[in-house]
Amino acid sequence: MIRRAFHAAFPPVAVVVALLAAWQAAVWAFAPSEFLVPSPMAVARALRDGSGQLLAAARLTGLSAAAGFALAAGIGIVLGSVLSASRFLMRGLYPIATLLQMVPLVAIAPLLVVWCGYGARTSIASAVIVSLFPVLAATLDGMRSTDPGLVELFQVNRATRLQRWWKLELPWAIPSIVTGLRIAAGLAVIGTIVGEFVGAFAGEDAPVGILITSALRENRTDMVFAAVFVASAVGFALFGVVSLLGWVLLRRWHASAR
Amino acid sequence: MPMRNMLRPFTIRTSTITLACALLGALVLGGAAARAPEPVKLRLQLNWVPEPEFGGMYAAQQDGLYAKAGIEVELIKGAAGTPAPQMAASGQVEFAIASGDQLLSLNEKGGDLVAVFSVFQQSPMGVMVKADSKFNSIEDLWKSDSTVAMEAGLPYLKFLNRKYPGSKVKIVPTGTGLAAFERGAVQGQQCFISAEPVQMELKKVPVRVFSLAVSGYDPYVELVVTKRSWLEAHRAEAAKFVNALREGWIRYQAEPAKYNPGIAKLNPAMSLEAMDMAARKQHDMVMLPGSAPADVGTMTAERWKTLSTHLVELGSIKEAPKSPDAVFWNAPK
Repeated sequence: MIRRAFHAAFPPVAVVVALLAAWQAAVWAFAPSEFLVPSPMAVARALRDGSGQLLAAARLTGLSAAAGFALAAGIGIVLGSVLSASRFLMRGLYPIATLLQMVPLVAIAPLLVVWCGYGARTSIASAVIVSLFPVLAATLDGMRSTDPGLVELFQVNRATRLQRWWKLELPWAIPSIVTGLRIAAGLAVIGTIVGEFVGAFAGEDAPVGILITSALRENRTDMVFAAVFVASAVGFALFGVVSLLGWVLLRRWHASAR
Repeated sequence: MPMRNMLRPFTIRTSTITLACALLGALVLGGAAARAPEPVKLRLQLNWVPEPEFGGMYAAQQDGLYAKAGIEVELIKGAAGTPAPQMAASGQVEFAIASGDQLLSLNEKGGDLVAVFSVFQQSPMGVMVKADSKFNSIEDLWKSDSTVAMEAGLPYLKFLNRKYPGSKVKIVPTGTGLAAFERGAVQGQQCFISAEPVQMELKKVPVRVFSLAVSGYDPYVELVVTKRSWLEAHRAEAAKFVNALREGWIRYQAEPAKYNPGIAKLNPAMSLEAMDMAARKQHDMVMLPGSAPADVGTMTAERWKTLSTHLVELGSIKEAPKSPDAVFWNAPK
């Protein structure tokens, strides 16, 4: 078990350590100005010195991202299921849903503030907009790829539409949905931070987006990197939860979770 | 065929080539002698779109003052978030617009910038509220629990929080433009006294403006900065540029309506009427009443020292520059 965990963890840890070492060596060798590129050690110091503020920011951003992600997951799975049930609806709505991933979020983010007001609502709305499409598309693809033989079997046994969805199409689509959710998890954090750039409250308890803009204004690139690191950690955490959920759902019967 | 005849074509060709070379040489040499020396090319990175706050820069361009000084200046438009001071500090452009606090904090992190021109002699930064609000001063606003749109990380936000401790004001970003202020979602709005209030006035939304300079924080806000190493190597060109800027600003101050149509062409989003109003509002902050035209753009060690002291107190920089003279250069006129 330990050996397996070591084998799984070693390659990414080794790559990260090598990249950090190369980054530090480059900073020592070329000595760029601090405002251009901070050293990993400076970023580590910023993480240590600003840990209280960064943790509070991670909590706020994490909550908004999780809420946005959960909403996107719910809406995406329901909408994907509805579209898969009706060819007419799919032809009508799917192209419009596709537009969601083309939305230049930065351009409409100020409008989200006007519509949703300041605070977490804007960040959550922003997270939903960017993370909805991967879930919807994955759900739709997963359900549409259900084995026709099994669909026929359900029909022969006079299963209702709801029974067929619950007992056949949804389980069949789970591996695909989990993939969509994994993509959406990272996007939800990005969407949240874009929302925070325009609509979050500043102050002692500010989320990651505000910390980044504030540090940029003050030329504290070490703090910018530290905040980006925290945002990535939030994204990883969300990704981890989804992966765990996928493993729990799939481990008994699907090759991808074994 | 006799040998002479055989050589003839060659002889003719040789003489033709010689003649052509001579003519070409004469043309090149003559042309070079007649041509004026190539003007030095300089780029000024603005941090915002073309507006009257850059009026003098455009006036100098429109009147050919840069060319007359033997320099070619490209004014590069900015936008929200343009990292203008960083571009000058990294040598991507020769000059950029920066505020005094940006210069000092960048220099602390290896930027090594020098200010060569200050557009405003008094900070145009302020906070506006609606005229029908209950706020009669910045203190009233800061002692309320209102929402104010202001850029996070600005030193004057720290200044106000320090001046009015225990404030319950909620700070939100300015990314929505003036929409949130207009519809009352925010009660206070960070502004350039000569910009946002004008927009509100044109929309028939009466506002009250509180100057930050009057409240005790009066930093250099719109500086033209350059890298010290560049300045040391190009003092003559920098002086020509600064003097052309000064002359441009003097002309713009005297007759903004002459230059605004040219600026409006570069920024159709701002009406000519708004530009004329903005120019009028900023007039006394560019040239303080009673000051001489020669004072336009100049800076003083005393004001830099005050700004440094403020920034140290606010925690925006660790220590003040050892000599305030080191961060600015008043070009010889």
